[in-house]
Amino acid sequence: MTSAFTNGKRALAATAGFAVAALVLSGCASGGTTPDAAGGAITIGTTDKITSLDPAGSYDNGSFAVQTQVFPFLMSSPYGTSSVEPDIATAAEFTSPNEYTVTLKPDLKWANGNDLTASDVKFSFDRQQTIASDTGPSSLLGNLESTDVVDDLTVVFNLINGNDQIFSQILSSPAGVIVDEDSLSATEITPDADIVDANAFAGQYALTSYNFNNLLAYKAYEGYQGLLGPAKTDVINVKYYADASNLKLEVQEGGIDVAWRSLSATDIDDLRGNDNVKVVDGPGGETRYITFNFDSQPFGATTADADPAKALAVRQAVANIVDRAEIADQVYKGTYTPLYSFVPAGMSGATESLKGLYGDGEGGPDIDKAAALLEAAGVTEPVELNLQYSNDHYGPSSGDEYALIKDQLEATDLFTVNLQTTEWVQYSKDRVEDVYPLYQLGWFPDYSDADNYLSPFFKTENFLDNHFADANVDAQIVEQSVTTDPAAREALLMEIQDEVAAALSTLPLLQGAQVAITGTDISGTKDTLDTSFKFRYGALVKG
Amino acid sequence: MSTVAVKPPVPARASKKKTGQGGGIGRYLLVRFLLIFPTIFILVSMVFWLMRTTGDPITAALGGRLGPDQLAERVHAAGYDRPILVQYFEYLGQVLTGNFGTTISTNRPVTEVLLTYGSATAELVFYALIVAFIVGIPLGLVAAYWRDKAPDAVLRVLAILWYATPVFFAGLLLKLVFSVWLKVLPVAGRATTGSELQMQLLPNKTGIYLIDALQIGDPAVVQDVLLHAVLPALALGLLTAGVFLRLVRTNVIGTLGTDYVDAARSRGVHEFRLVSKHAYRPALIPIITVIGLQIALLLGGAVLTETVFEWKGLGFQLIEFIKARDFVAVQGIVALLAVIVALSNFIVDIIAALIDPRVRY
Amino acid sequence: MTEFDSASMHSPKAPLWSRLPVVHQLRQSVGLQRGMLVAGLVITGIFILTAIFAPLLAPYGYSQLRGDDGPFGAQQEPGGDHLFGTTAGGYDVLSRVIWGSQTAIIVMVIAVVLSIFAGVALGLVSGYFGGWLDRVLVVICDAVYAFPSLLLAIVMGIVLSGGQSSLFYGILAAAISITVVFIPQYFRVIRAETVRIKAEAYVESARVLGASNGRIMFRHVLRNATRTLPLIFTLNASEALLTLAGLGFIGFGIEPSSAAEWGYDLNKAISDVTSGIWWTSLFPGLAIVLVVLGVTLVGESLNDLADPRLRSRRAPGKTSAAPVAPAPVREPAGRIEPSGIYGSISAPRVRPDGLESTS
Repeated sequence: MTSAFTNGKRALAATAGFAVAALVLSGCASGGTTPDAAGGAITIGTTDKITSLDPAGSYDNGSFAVQTQVFPFLMSSPYGTSSVEPDIATAAEFTSPNEYTVTLKPDLKWANGNDLTASDVKFSFDRQQTIASDTGPSSLLGNLESTDVVDDLTVVFNLINGNDQIFSQILSSPAGVIVDEDSLSATEITPDADIVDANAFAGQYALTSYNFNNLLAYKAYEGYQGLLGPAKTDVINVKYYADASNLKLEVQEGGIDVAWRSLSATDIDDLRGNDNVKVVDGPGGETRYITFNFDSQPFGATTADADPAKALAVRQAVANIVDRAEIADQVYKGTYTPLYSFVPAGMSGATESLKGLYGDGEGGPDIDKAAALLEAAGVTEPVELNLQYSNDHYGPSSGDEYALIKDQLEATDLFTVNLQTTEWVQYSKDRVEDVYPLYQLGWFPDYSDADNYLSPFFKTENFLDNHFADANVDAQIVEQSVTTDPAAREALLMEIQDEVAAALSTLPLLQGAQVAITGTDISGTKDTLDTSFKFRYGALVKG
Repeated sequence: MSTVAVKPPVPARASKKKTGQGGGIGRYLLVRFLLIFPTIFILVSMVFWLMRTTGDPITAALGGRLGPDQLAERVHAAGYDRPILVQYFEYLGQVLTGNFGTTISTNRPVTEVLLTYGSATAELVFYALIVAFIVGIPLGLVAAYWRDKAPDAVLRVLAILWYATPVFFAGLLLKLVFSVWLKVLPVAGRATTGSELQMQLLPNKTGIYLIDALQIGDPAVVQDVLLHAVLPALALGLLTAGVFLRLVRTNVIGTLGTDYVDAARSRGVHEFRLVSKHAYRPALIPIITVIGLQIALLLGGAVLTETVFEWKGLGFQLIEFIKARDFVAVQGIVALLAVIVALSNFIVDIIAALIDPRVRY
Repeated sequence: MTEFDSASMHSPKAPLWSRLPVVHQLRQSVGLQRGMLVAGLVITGIFILTAIFAPLLAPYGYSQLRGDDGPFGAQQEPGGDHLFGTTAGGYDVLSRVIWGSQTAIIVMVIAVVLSIFAGVALGLVSGYFGGWLDRVLVVICDAVYAFPSLLLAIVMGIVLSGGQSSLFYGILAAAISITVVFIPQYFRVIRAETVRIKAEAYVESARVLGASNGRIMFRHVLRNATRTLPLIFTLNASEALLTLAGLGFIGFGIEPSSAAEWGYDLNKAISDVTSGIWWTSLFPGLAIVLVVLGVTLVGESLNDLADPRLRSRRAPGKTSAAPVAPAPVREPAGRIEPSGIYGSISAPRVRPDGLESTS
């Protein structure tokens, strides 16, 4: 024992010496960070999380952010817009109402040397539909019946409903990622490591090193011939953070060049005053809203005192009272902006339907109007609202946001609010079981089209499952999706928003801006912060 | 009689034990070894039942995107709506065959997850123990030497403060002071991007960054790795240092009152030497046993430290998996923790039994 | 010397009040040890008083966002109407800190009461009857004890509340998960003492005289087995608070409009700190540190005083007041000294004691 102990002591002393040496050395190191390996390489930090590199196994922002960089798409939007154009294709159009034909560019290659042909395209869509993973985006391909290869460069998508105006957008969505048929499995989700080892990439970048949810290294892929053009920076490293305050400190201290998604409002506000970094704002596609359950809300269809008129009055009163600007300023410090319709501002077809209908007409609240509405409907007592929010799914400020909404509603003496929060998984279950009369939700688009903010919500069979049903809205949603004339379609989209705004299935509150924090020597960020909501590393330049 | 092992073996009057009552050391060790299995079984079962009653991973991932029908369809396809007993026995079967499966939320083999994050946690725990030793043991001796005097009081209050400060609060303060104001230490993470990329390329990387950095052989990388370890090691290590400080102090004071030290004192041995030599040695035995327990508990308990410092280890990952209701991953990690805890308890018992036969009863 | 606890029985002639647990130890203590005990008692006392009188002390409600002249505004600096400033959500920090003491004390009390009852009952039964039930309970307790308490707390919280973080469920989740973790500790201590006491002569004689098992257990064994409890009690209380704070930090805290909770506030304040807004985190942080410090000081002092080896000796000449016969240095089995103080994050709690002791 004695000798063992002595050895232990020696080892201890040695290690101790090591630690001390480290501390001493630290005195010499400047800034606590060592310079990057290659000049011009950019390090990006994010709090995103990847679930899977394989597009059949992931349906989330974190994974799609990676897939956007390394996989090719048939359709894509150029920097600065949300409208899609052929990406690795030369043409994409309806050759008959139910046939969407895409012609690929010639001589496309994967980074591993394999040919990228129409057969890869068919493979990619077939496997999405075959695997139909628990956690994949195959539900976006509901209108796709089958995919046919005509020749090496031509592929035909056979659609169930003809003239689907959304389909070109779907091709740029998480369901439209093209993968290498020689490297990925046709029937199973392929492990990330296999994809990286096979070098099965053909986007602007290829992954050269893959340390899952920790550090990813990208190198520009020279064979990329798509819409966006070659990447402007050769090497990109992406570090994954779990805690936003660490991300903030790193970008502030120069440990990383770009912080992309998601810093707290306080952090962003603080960094705006910091000369060492630039805060770059872009339009946001993310929306936050309150959903009304038409059955269980006060005076809802299954309540004891069911009364559609009173129920509508309650919804409209709430819409008249909420002060979006106060929430945006106080809680989000401008990182979210007031939202007055279901489709966020900046998207083609967006309106401000609720601004005119509710409040003072300028976007502010109007309490007298709310009181008058309730009185006219015969509601005399203060209405009790059970308001739910999720404390862990829509960012750390949800608690403050909903406390403020409760405060706004209660200050009018028209409502008493029971505010409750529930952890996300239970929340997701409860909300579709009519447990929550009013509850928080948010939306991040699958593809950048107004349709994605309407049809999932307001068709009779919708994902909200809040018992809102309107035959007219139903018909219009179907109609706009097959209207080929853009102007006519836009008019329809606006009409839908006006109608839903009057019925208030949901109450839109806020629209999230995209905010990137960069070092002062980084340029090009503005180019990629567009309404496609894809952050393309290829646009960034250092120095 | 059952006494706590964490106490000096020497106070002779205290323990009039019947040695050899329960058979020889062989039997004792065998019983202790066999106890490892029920421990693991209980933990694994506990986790299974707790996790299954809290929801499924599909709702966790897609509850904000899909309607109830689509969700139910996917839950059914994955088999999570089968009778829970069926799933339980299926799971036990898998564990028995060593098949931990693939994580649901990230589609990676659980064994790979355990290796990657386990090595990170092991490294952090190692550093933390070093800090605990360097800080805890000398300060414990100091406290014992100046027992009931000012230094003792200060040190004891300090030890309590280390414990009383939530680690995320302490971590935040450490980061502010050393990273933001003094700019001598990095904010978070285990290495800079450059170093990590180099280590990523190593043919036989261990996941333990210090070893990988030594493999690369570049002093700058080694320095980088060690610098990143300083703050997390301090945050976690000081917690444990408080335990050690108290342990050393108590045991040294205890042994100072024994016959054997009295004898030395009567021979005129100086009080300082008494503390540092005569009383210290026997007091170390309980410390050894505590270290075993510390390792086990640090492994699971480093959760907050790992989160604060972006140290991507098991504890941190476990919380992510719990939130995603990824029971496959959670069960795998807990099974590993259970094995480690059971093993280190076993080893501690062996050491204790070898050192002091009376422990065996 | 019988097994009667010297702490409570050694001087039957002393007035009753001085035989009360803490008062007795206070009188018994000297010098620094008394200083630590007094400091701990004062801090704990202030904490308890604050909790009781929170409605009178706090200038505003814990979920109040606006006063007579409009909203408070977010992240207002300390001073004026808001002595400690306001939070990112626009709450008054001072009020939240004061109200938070109520939440803290409720969690502590529930956790301690639940684990004492469950742990003591199990330990008593297990130790007294022995046999396979005892072995099974020991193994289960060892296993539970090995489980990281914070993770247990998270999962228990989800199971109990269905993920709701209202006041009731939030408190219950923290309290019950602490209970689950602490039951093994009470269990061990009580069981080990029971096993020891069971073999003592006076228990034997009681049995010979025909006393029932229940009577022996509760009259003779329990009374003597509980003397180390005050110490675990204090550990348990501070652990409860730290776990509540940890839950708040990881995002399983109590919703701010249903209760004030320090851990939650601290978590929300993290991004403030890095932006130079210090007042939102400092005060709730200090509150946690102080309360845990106070309670732990009391616990440590009591522990020292209960252990003859660690008790400060009075100056010669005053020894008449010293406890009778510290001589039988029979260690209370399962004593949680010296490692026990440092709770869930890292602590070795009570050592698993001998599994074979019943054989």
